[in-house]
Amino acid sequence: MTHAPAGSLLAATGLHKAYGPTKALDGADFSVHPGEVVAVMGPSGSGKSTLLHCLAGIVPPDSGSVTYAGRELTAMSDAERSALRRTEFGFVFQFGQLVPELTCVENVALPLRLAGVRRKEAEHTALAWMEKLQVEDLAGQRPGEVSGGQGQRVAVARSLVTGPRVLFADEPTGALDSLNGELVMQLLTEAARSTNAAVVLVTHETRVAAWSDREIVVRDGRSRDMERAI
Amino acid sequence: MSTGTTPATAPAARTGPGGDSGAGTGALRVWFRDLAMGARFAFTGGRQGWTRTLLTGVGVGLGVALLLISTALPSALAARTDRGDARSWLGSPTAEHPGQDTLLIARAAQSYRGKDIEGVLVEAEGPDAPVPPGLTQVPGPGELAVSPALKRLLDSPDGALLRERLDGRITQTVGDAGLTGPAELLFYSGRSGLRPAVEGFSRVERITAFAYERQTEKLGPVLVLLVVLTFVALLLPVAVFIAAAVRFGGERRDRRLAALRLVGADSRMVRRIAAGEALAGSLAGLVLGAGFFVLARSVVGGFDIQQRSVFPADLDPAPWLAALVAVAVPAAAVGVTLFALRGVVIEPLGVVRTAKPARRRLWWRLLVPLAGLGLLVPLTGRGDDGGEFNRWQVTAGVALLLVGITALLPWLLERLVGRMGGGPVSWQLAVRRLQVNTAGAARLVNGIAVAVAGAIALQMLFSGVEDDYTKDTGQDPGRAAVSILIGDDAQDDLDQLARQVAGYEGITGAVPLRSVQAAHTAPAEDGLIDVTIGSCAALREVALLDSCKDGDAFLATGSDDRARTYGGTAAPGDKLFAGNVRGYEKAVAPVPFTVPAELPRVASRPDPVGALRAGLLLTPSVAPADTGGYGSRQIFVMAEDTDGDGLERARTAAYKASPLSTAMTLAQTKRDAGYSTVRIGLFFGATAVLVLIGTSLLVSQVEQLRERRALLSSLVAFGTPRSTLSLSVLWQTALPVGVGMALAAVFGVGLGVVLMRMAAAPVRIDWGPVAALTGVGAGVVALVTALSLPPLLRMARPDGLRTE
Repeated sequence: MTHAPAGSLLAATGLHKAYGPTKALDGADFSVHPGEVVAVMGPSGSGKSTLLHCLAGIVPPDSGSVTYAGRELTAMSDAERSALRRTEFGFVFQFGQLVPELTCVENVALPLRLAGVRRKEAEHTALAWMEKLQVEDLAGQRPGEVSGGQGQRVAVARSLVTGPRVLFADEPTGALDSLNGELVMQLLTEAARSTNAAVVLVTHETRVAAWSDREIVVRDGRSRDMERAI
Repeated sequence: MSTGTTPATAPAARTGPGGDSGAGTGALRVWFRDLAMGARFAFTGGRQGWTRTLLTGVGVGLGVALLLISTALPSALAARTDRGDARSWLGSPTAEHPGQDTLLIARAAQSYRGKDIEGVLVEAEGPDAPVPPGLTQVPGPGELAVSPALKRLLDSPDGALLRERLDGRITQTVGDAGLTGPAELLFYSGRSGLRPAVEGFSRVERITAFAYERQTEKLGPVLVLLVVLTFVALLLPVAVFIAAAVRFGGERRDRRLAALRLVGADSRMVRRIAAGEALAGSLAGLVLGAGFFVLARSVVGGFDIQQRSVFPADLDPAPWLAALVAVAVPAAAVGVTLFALRGVVIEPLGVVRTAKPARRRLWWRLLVPLAGLGLLVPLTGRGDDGGEFNRWQVTAGVALLLVGITALLPWLLERLVGRMGGGPVSWQLAVRRLQVNTAGAARLVNGIAVAVAGAIALQMLFSGVEDDYTKDTGQDPGRAAVSILIGDDAQDDLDQLARQVAGYEGITGAVPLRSVQAAHTAPAEDGLIDVTIGSCAALREVALLDSCKDGDAFLATGSDDRARTYGGTAAPGDKLFAGNVRGYEKAVAPVPFTVPAELPRVASRPDPVGALRAGLLLTPSVAPADTGGYGSRQIFVMAEDTDGDGLERARTAAYKASPLSTAMTLAQTKRDAGYSTVRIGLFFGATAVLVLIGTSLLVSQVEQLRERRALLSSLVAFGTPRSTLSLSVLWQTALPVGVGMALAAVFGVGLGVVLMRMAAAPVRIDWGPVAALTGVGAGVVALVTALSLPPLLRMARPDGLRTE
């Protein structure tokens, strides 16, 4: 087994994953350090989302290693990985992530409530994060009543409310216009850096990747570190 | 899709907002165009569109099939009755003497392991004797014609004992024309030497044709009430179900319709297009329903419930009712969709927002059940004294009361969940979803709530009038399991037959008794004295004897009624005649005998059949000799087990002694046949409705989960335990079900009370069945929730986030 790069918070080596006859990952490597924003780039179908899902313990790789803070994810049970995602990781997706029936503040408070925090306290913390993301005035509204950009900022607030050490963002601006996309990225990266959270940002847009510290390109299931410094 | 929608929406832009500004045929054309476009989308919307249309089609199809079966039931029952009548000889022309066209016929019904077997003894006296329906010729002596179901039973290992009884040569199978249903157990046994009726004292008739005079048995007003209520209570949930089924997949469709708004369709237009999609689903449902019906029709012959079965060919819906279903279902689909979309604002740019629903108003929702009550209350007491119910008034009243549940449930649910908050995450997820979509939740529960309310009301009415339709037979099954009345033509010695029966395994006793009439003179018209002859053990079955030995005689006091009826009495030493004392046949002389000098008076007791005997009780040595076949011979059979082989052997022995023997299984109560039929019908229907509604609920649940697949996946991705999601689904179902069942219980009990007052039955509420029925309703939902968990867990996987 290849060891994770020194000082890395989350690292993967030699990941393989296939869906039927289709190879999504074919020996991909990855690492991210605390407070670092890494963009995973690549064309559609290159395997970048699969890489994110494997790194986050959402889907188990067929082979290879994923270590988080020195712990091997692939050796964990589903319940352990779920607990890890609940407490240590945060997520922002392109679609379908806010519960339409809950108000925005209830959506943001949801991960805290799942972690056992009392409702009032959870919503108080959620409001603070909504303020950072400039959506505090939407607290009482439901996701169906806010714009796409606003909804995405609510989702970012939710992803950060538990103070995650790693934030996974899969095409977080994919459904937004460029202005809103820029705003979301700015707030997301600022908020993550303020908590020293690592960010794994999956995108196919160079404009979005420009917000990262480093880029990894995935093509045909293999990853290549561009080692680009800001 | 855009290429398909642009040309269609272009004219709408020209006709102004709404696209239907033209009057008359123009508006009709616009409606037709939009409905047709929607219908086209239903089939051209790719896999998702197909799935949605199929779901709707299957849902509607199940409902349509049930409606068609219901509409076919009256004709099926009529056909059954007609064929039963056609083979009956009650009221057939009879002949006094044998002729070319005479047939001797007698009923010889049997019972075998709890099943009733219709049996007929026949003897053709000439070549032109009438042939029973379903037969090609009258079976000759020793020949048997059996129904296919009886043949199967006789050929099976289970029928071995019955084969010993019906041991004739099977030469024919009774055709459908001679059977009430495919599962009927029926035989015709060819005989020789049957003795026709003498002054009505034999069951053998001499007939020249089968011609039944129908005794029109009109259902009493309470039974009419039960029938009407059964149909309404069963069919209304089906209608509610169909209304829900046309909304399957509605949420996804609503979103898709936004795309049409983008290319210029106005809100009324998209509603009509949505209605067109529902219309297509309902039309698919009609086709599938017809298919399900044909399928059900083809297999219905294989089922029988409590020995009632239906021939597939009899299950023909009345054409006008079938036409009504064919028109009403698509019309309802369009109406329901337009009504349901009132509160949905479909906007361009792919945004669909459920309009802030106006606070539901209570007043009109209360009007519906109150109107029903208004129709029913004036009928109070009509069930008494042979009154009549206006069926339409009852139907409308009951329907309005039950529909009232569907009107009130959303309001009640909104009020209750609107106040809810707090609680764990699973609770919060469920409550918030219910707050947003009260109507959807109510729609899920409406059908089952209506079914449960109807069932509660029916159950109450059934319980209320049960006493009127259940007769106390006076029989005591604790003293004897079976009473065998030996046929007049039996040659066997009664005591020997009783000993034979007593020897069978499982039989604990067989007590023979003979009864004969006696008189001081012969022939005699009145002053007749009943004489019961038997061992001391046998006589103890009919009177309270302190001491008894062979040679004793007693005078049983019996009841006052009996003493008045016969009027005759005997004193010690009286010379009497026994047997043919009425002088029916010149050839058989009455038998003289003398009443013993000792004749203590003893009190009668009801025999196991419940008959209270009066007159002389004689032990064998002081009884008159052979009475020439006059009088009756009876054996009371006691058994360890009422279902055992011993009793079947006893019945066989009785049949062998004389096929005209009857072996009656004793029971304390007997139910009215019409009442039993309605109750069985209810059981049949309720089962079908519950299965239907359960299926509907399951389809709706899975559809909802499918709609939320991405959301479920993302919730799991950020660590939501699956147990939380499962619990939220449970709460989401349990809350409306709880409210729905409570409302159903209130309405069911209310309707039950009204119906009992109408039937003039004493109002009493038995909470056990109410709890049981609401429990069954809740159980169906719990089962559906359990069944929806596997798809939930399958969909709630983080890998559901994959989009490529």
